[in-house]
Amino acid sequence: MSQPTRSVVIVGGGTAGWITAGRIAAKHRSHAEDGLRVTLIESPTIGTVGVGEGTWPTMRSTLKKIGISESDFIRECDATFKQGAKFARWVTGRDEDFYYHPLVLPQGFQTVNLPAYWQERREQQSFSAAVCHQEHICEHGLAPKQITTPEYGAVANYAYHLNAGKFAEFLKRYCVEKLGVNLLLDDVIAVNAKENGDIASVATAKNGDVGGDLFIDCTGFSSLLLGKHLGVPFIDKSDVLFIDNALAVQVPYDHEDAPIACNTISTGQDAGWIWDIGLQHRRGVGYVYSSHHTSHEQAEQTLRNYVGPAIDALSPRKIPIRSGHRQLFWKNNCVAVGLSAGFLEPLEASAIVLVELSAEMIAEQLPPCREVMDVMAKRFNETFLYRWDRIIDFLKLHYMLSQRTDNDFWEDNRRPQSIPESLRELIALWRYRPPGNHDFTSNNEVFPAASYQYILYGMGFKTDTRYLAHTLVEQDLAEEQFSRNARAIRQALATLPKHRDLLKKVHLYGFQAL
Amino acid sequence: MGRLVALDSRTHRSLRVAPEKVVAQGAKLNMVPVVLSEFLKLCVQYPIVLTKNADTGRFVCVCLFGLSKNENLFWRDERWDAIYTPLHIARQPFFAGAGEAGKAGQADGEFVLCIDAENDSLRQDTGDRIFDEQGNETPYLQQAKAILSALLTGETETQRFIDKLLAVNLVQPMRLDVQYANRQSLRVEGIFTVDEERMKALPPEGLVELHSLNYLAPIYTMMASLGHIYSLVNRKNALLAG
Repeated sequence: MSQPTRSVVIVGGGTAGWITAGRIAAKHRSHAEDGLRVTLIESPTIGTVGVGEGTWPTMRSTLKKIGISESDFIRECDATFKQGAKFARWVTGRDEDFYYHPLVLPQGFQTVNLPAYWQERREQQSFSAAVCHQEHICEHGLAPKQITTPEYGAVANYAYHLNAGKFAEFLKRYCVEKLGVNLLLDDVIAVNAKENGDIASVATAKNGDVGGDLFIDCTGFSSLLLGKHLGVPFIDKSDVLFIDNALAVQVPYDHEDAPIACNTISTGQDAGWIWDIGLQHRRGVGYVYSSHHTSHEQAEQTLRNYVGPAIDALSPRKIPIRSGHRQLFWKNNCVAVGLSAGFLEPLEASAIVLVELSAEMIAEQLPPCREVMDVMAKRFNETFLYRWDRIIDFLKLHYMLSQRTDNDFWEDNRRPQSIPESLRELIALWRYRPPGNHDFTSNNEVFPAASYQYILYGMGFKTDTRYLAHTLVEQDLAEEQFSRNARAIRQALATLPKHRDLLKKVHLYGFQAL
Repeated sequence: MGRLVALDSRTHRSLRVAPEKVVAQGAKLNMVPVVLSEFLKLCVQYPIVLTKNADTGRFVCVCLFGLSKNENLFWRDERWDAIYTPLHIARQPFFAGAGEAGKAGQADGEFVLCIDAENDSLRQDTGDRIFDEQGNETPYLQQAKAILSALLTGETETQRFIDKLLAVNLVQPMRLDVQYANRQSLRVEGIFTVDEERMKALPPEGLVELHSLNYLAPIYTMMASLGHIYSLVNRKNALLAG
């Protein structure tokens, strides 16, 4: 007889636990009598890591599917708009060195591949400025939409920066009050197994054994169910990504009307890089570095130099980072989401998007009964092993293209042995032709070809198109895209409001649903 | 709006308002906010739709005079070529100012009748008098006050009406691609209207609720008025033909 999936137990709150709970409960109608039962066990004693404050544009559809109003989210989570990232001092390390990885696709991306045509004018205009309007919008401190734009609608594609602590609390309230998620404030003290190795229940300190058909491990770095109980090993990736520490600090604004950056600012340093994100009421700043290439004291000094005198009143928090992921993410009737599945450094904000993608796949493809769960586990593992590998490749790309020579950190990052073969192969291809959609053919891609183009050509990579010159006959079409983009820039600069002004209006009036 | 001052029977005793200059101020408006109580008069000639206030993003009910910016197709040969002039136009140059607490005879939150002292329609020689020789209100002023009061109560009522339409999901964006006789084409954006399909699909209790609020008539009036978008196109074509 088949054993239907009637109840899901999520161990651990935080961003991962509550996003997963929200997606599953909304899709499987947990508020209804006949819906799936979702229980989340949140420890009253263990805190969250809570520095994951950058999202991808996917967060818009995640929130929408959970049923949350964008205005409420922005008001309650200190959230701001994020239009990609500005990378400063990553290429040469000089003061004037910067490029953008925007979220808007190049103009006419599905019609004509622009890099070859842009290379002829590369001295006049950066790649991102030539092909999309977002760099200009960001440099002018403008928001990606107007107050008349509907909720989740965009003039220029956008994601968010948010306060992770407030976000988890906000999701928790919504999940419990609106979606019928059952919250147990309790500590898991043991895991009870069945004969076939499945988890039968988790033993809690106050509520006894809590049983379920599917267990979701959102216990953070401790990976209590998947790592500790089921013994799935951790695959270390520190031979590719060298960052192993973060020093994080929350910096107040000089005054309450100070402008808010509308993109992540990532500034290369001697042994890593500093993130700088603007929330409504403070900035989040942190130095991620390789302790093999600098000392903790030197790292703290680097952060001080970046933040300035304001840091004297603040106490930076040190967080160790171990880049890597579990060998499997789903085993038996247990799947890990969030830090329990793995973590890479914060470059390109891959942490929360992996949570969303995991929650999406679990919610949309929840195995209806135990009999098909192993098939689902296999598919889930294949999908996410592929995704982690693609993210690792993409992060490594940023480091290997740098021309910095001021520290071994950068030299070591260019050593071929430290670069995954899959990335080395793509780079070899791209020396003779630009990246295109044909390079990324899986249904499970995380970064589109456009993102590779922005990083490559933003970082001064040159594609030698000499042998393909006979195919470059779409000059007129390319020119049309460049002039369309110039028009889009003028239009955007004339109509988009300042970032903080729009946020104020969201507080006063909110966005309309349509 | 220029400079608002409280209307005073001594200061403004000899002041006159030139009616043709009142409507002239709408010459470059392509829409004005409207209130429920004038829907039946509006729908004879103007399309009544919803749009968003550019400053707040909130929905407002408006009637359209033209489809392009600054285009009023009802302003022809220096006169308002229509049967009915919307209250928002006819109210000029009078405004309701928020009352100042503490002033003799005024409660907090009460409105004070104000006049735009820089308004184009103000005259000393010709036009309608606001006060008579003795300083009493003229019938003209009494009518102006009635218009203002209709606007004030109407704004709240109309806002409630819009909120209800939104709450029951009856508002939809309207796609409007227009081609004029000279082949010039235009995409009109930012216009919303009542979703006819959703209206038809409304369950009986939903209909009863709208009926008990007296919203059915304005809803159907709005829908019927949409045909006047074609009248606007015709006016424009006539204009283009010279």
